[in-house]
Amino acid sequence: MSAKVKESNPDQQTVLVCCGTGCTANGGRKVYEAFVEKIKDHPEWKVQPILKSTGCNGWCEKGPLVRIMPRDITYCSVAPKDVDEIIDKTLSEGLLIKRLLYRDPVTKEYLSSHHQTDFYRKQHKVALRNIGEIDPAQIEDYIAREGYQALALALDNMSGQEVIDTVKASGLRGRGGGGFPTGLKWQSCKNAPGQPKYIICNGDEGDPGAFMDRSIMEGDPHTVIEGMILGAYAVGASRGFIYVRDEYDLAVYSLGKAIEDARSHGYLGDNILGSGFSFDIEVVRGGGAFVCGEETALIASIEGRTGEPQDKYIFPSEKGLWGQPTVINNVETWANVPVIILHGADAFASIGTAGSKGTKVFSLVGKVVNTGLVEVPMGTTLREIIYEIGGGVLKKRKFKAVQTGGPSGGCIPEELLDLPIDFDSLTQAGSMMGSGGLIVMDDHTCMVEVARYYVNFLAGESCGKCTPCREGIRALLEILTRICNGQGQLEDVEMLEEISITMQEASLCALGRTAPNPVLSTLRYFRDEYLAHIEQHRCPAGVCRNLTTFYIDPEVCTGCGLCAKQCAVEAIQGDKKQPHVIDESRCIRCGECFRNCAFNAVKIG
Amino acid sequence: MQINPQEFDEESHYKSLINSYPGQPQYILAIMQDLQKQYNYLPRLALKMIASHVGVPVSKIYAMASFYKAFSLTPKGRFVFRVCDGTACHIKNSETLLDQLYQHLGIRPGQTTEDGQFSIETVNCLGACALAPVVVVNGKVHGKVKPGDLEGIIRECGGQCHVS
Amino acid sequence: MKVKINGQEMEAREGETILELCLRQDIFIPHLCYHPAFGGQGACRMCLVELKEPGRKNNRLVASCTYPIHSYIEVITESERLQRLRRNIVMLLARRASQNPWMKEMAEQYAAPSMPPVETEPADCILCRLCIHACEKMGKSAIWSMFRGIEKRIATPYDEAADDCMGCAACAQICPTQAIKMEEDDKTRTIWNKSFELVACRRCGKNFATREQIAYMQESSGYEFDELCANCRKVTLAQNISHYNH
Repeated sequence: MSAKVKESNPDQQTVLVCCGTGCTANGGRKVYEAFVEKIKDHPEWKVQPILKSTGCNGWCEKGPLVRIMPRDITYCSVAPKDVDEIIDKTLSEGLLIKRLLYRDPVTKEYLSSHHQTDFYRKQHKVALRNIGEIDPAQIEDYIAREGYQALALALDNMSGQEVIDTVKASGLRGRGGGGFPTGLKWQSCKNAPGQPKYIICNGDEGDPGAFMDRSIMEGDPHTVIEGMILGAYAVGASRGFIYVRDEYDLAVYSLGKAIEDARSHGYLGDNILGSGFSFDIEVVRGGGAFVCGEETALIASIEGRTGEPQDKYIFPSEKGLWGQPTVINNVETWANVPVIILHGADAFASIGTAGSKGTKVFSLVGKVVNTGLVEVPMGTTLREIIYEIGGGVLKKRKFKAVQTGGPSGGCIPEELLDLPIDFDSLTQAGSMMGSGGLIVMDDHTCMVEVARYYVNFLAGESCGKCTPCREGIRALLEILTRICNGQGQLEDVEMLEEISITMQEASLCALGRTAPNPVLSTLRYFRDEYLAHIEQHRCPAGVCRNLTTFYIDPEVCTGCGLCAKQCAVEAIQGDKKQPHVIDESRCIRCGECFRNCAFNAVKIG
Repeated sequence: MQINPQEFDEESHYKSLINSYPGQPQYILAIMQDLQKQYNYLPRLALKMIASHVGVPVSKIYAMASFYKAFSLTPKGRFVFRVCDGTACHIKNSETLLDQLYQHLGIRPGQTTEDGQFSIETVNCLGACALAPVVVVNGKVHGKVKPGDLEGIIRECGGQCHVS
Repeated sequence: MKVKINGQEMEAREGETILELCLRQDIFIPHLCYHPAFGGQGACRMCLVELKEPGRKNNRLVASCTYPIHSYIEVITESERLQRLRRNIVMLLARRASQNPWMKEMAEQYAAPSMPPVETEPADCILCRLCIHACEKMGKSAIWSMFRGIEKRIATPYDEAADDCMGCAACAQICPTQAIKMEEDDKTRTIWNKSFELVACRRCGKNFATREQIAYMQESSGYEFDELCANCRKVTLAQNISHYNH
């Protein structure tokens, strides 16, 4: 199902520089600018190389990435000073620069393309099919890779109902976390009486650790736009909105440019491709509120109100934006739609599990070797993602848990790593797939503190309207903070569970209903850690400062002095090559020395 | 509500910014975003003007300004240190960075230094998790930040660090 | 259309909420944020009831104050599950308003276990939001629910005297926990950090409105306002009518 690329001149080289947010932070833009400068100085080339800045490739750990086609060479961690060499050696003489290639940590082989790495080989890109291969600001790049062919096909050969039937048959379910069957949602909107109807793209990706939607909006905005036009055609909508999280500057810019380009090419606006169907999209920027990812809150936000959700006894597909029938879907959901329409429902449904068709994009982050974006068929196990694709736990530390589903999800321990990831399996284990964040945690992570962290996050993000969520989170936070400070009581555990049940049953929206999940899942799988905090006044992971002391084992310490150099309060003393000592009266228990010592000489007292 | 006297000098500028949008509630967010970008906070007088422009009571305009974290009701510092507290950054010890910033600048998240030069905020995940922990200063992203790097970043902004 | 409440069949009006039906039929469901003048908000969650749905093992919980009846449903308003839920909600509210006599009484009534009180200042406000709807209904919206999450509270902009506030005290009257502080003597009323001149009825001499309220009524009706309290207004009107009948 990979996109076909137009035939091109074999002498035509293309240099693709990743300028997604991650690589830009690492200097990707500067590398791109260096190429712009230096390529100008080579008039002797028969065919000038084409230079493109692309969106996030997903392999953020190895960025800034520079790729050279058609030979499919990938250079990692490129700096501006490498650009001259790349131009002279690779572009002009066709030689590979070994030190810039990825070296497999196991086989020690140098790989010339990222496609050969474990990280990429085991992925199956559908939603991410174009990212890293195109310049999102050039609509021609998208068109060259089957762009807008699905739209042309639908407008020419299919009725709106046939489009819905295809989406239903594909088994596509919402990728934002809810997992609602997309075809059914569209059908409900089509059936609902009333005009105008609206299409909304939920780009308010708020789960900490998740950046799938950001990459799609930045790196392949046209797939979202085409998906939305197809959805509008299916249900009979005339206006669309893309609600983008305020913090995503580059996504806002990228989408805006793409919408303009789509308009000038006749894909948006009046009488699209001569079909008589009219539809246009505007971008609405969020105001910095996680709760606006909830659909009724998002709708309130577009309408110009605070993002307070309301009871959904009537769905937005019947009464949504301004009381009109509205389809609201996540970015990744929209990104899949053109592929389904162009290549058919069966092709899409041939991948995945019985209940969860297609692929899913995950953001694999935390204490894992290969951090980045990963797209795999539904049903892939956690173990495969973390170890085979992700390369295992960072610094070879011990795996402790993987947090899935963001603040609405839970922690999965080692014994459940062979669970296949789909909508249903993780829920039974007390978590959920959510939007796709996978945060790998090692033995230096305190699970009680993780629960506290998520509840603290929600304390500021809850809209505050309903009692169980607002007051429940307040109580959970106070209790968890006391436990982390060493003032926990055994009754606290019971109270955490009791309040959690009320929040799950009575909260007005999914934020409140799922807020207890991190607490309940850590209590389920890591109860002993809670008890250590409460009964022994000890934090086994060495994180909770009041419950930890550090000391340096003189038998192991080599006297390298790294800890002393990093110590923010100068609490470590020692001569070179002599065992160092921590002055407990100065030590603030930040744990930097503990986590960074290459010899594991710093220990928990 | 009391209006800061200096804001009356800017009244015509607020007016042209606000009037560039139709007078409907759905544009409140966009108007506020423009004002925040221009003035680094939402001036009281401007909130009042938005209320009459869109026909919504000023209490609801204030409610929006206080609900959405993109906006500040008080002026922020010239340099805003946004320390990401997303999960990946959190487990790579963004808290230590906050402590170190307190050592250097004497302020905590949500506060601004007396001279109006620096503010600190914790922000939700910026989506650059591979570079955790991340600190953004006025749009410039710093990745894999160690506590020892902070002094250099502050000096780059022309700032003075306290001697701890 | 027909619905079943606690095993009993009864007639419901199309589109009315479960709570409205039950209150009409003298079936009590506890509620803190519903008021007949504004309808339900779904904020306090005390009014949750169980919906029996075919094919579902566990009954679905819905807020009776916002759930509209459009077809046959089977509702349960009392059960152990609901008791536990109501008890815990009261427990959480009583924790927040730990010094409030009305809340204390409610906590006793629902046998809510006591929890350590909140670490912040105890408030009397339980965030039922009836006050902001009363103010909105009066046409002013001088107060609204501000901020978000655990910092949410009812306030005027900047916690200062609001230009829109006319001191009618509808908010203080509707508040179930008497959380809105008001000071009054025979000349002045002070509420929400603003002071108002009280106006006396020209017939009975009792203070019945603020100067600002009268100005607002004049402005919105377009008529000159006769300074009479509600009672004296009725009496005067009756007298005028009987006068014309002669």
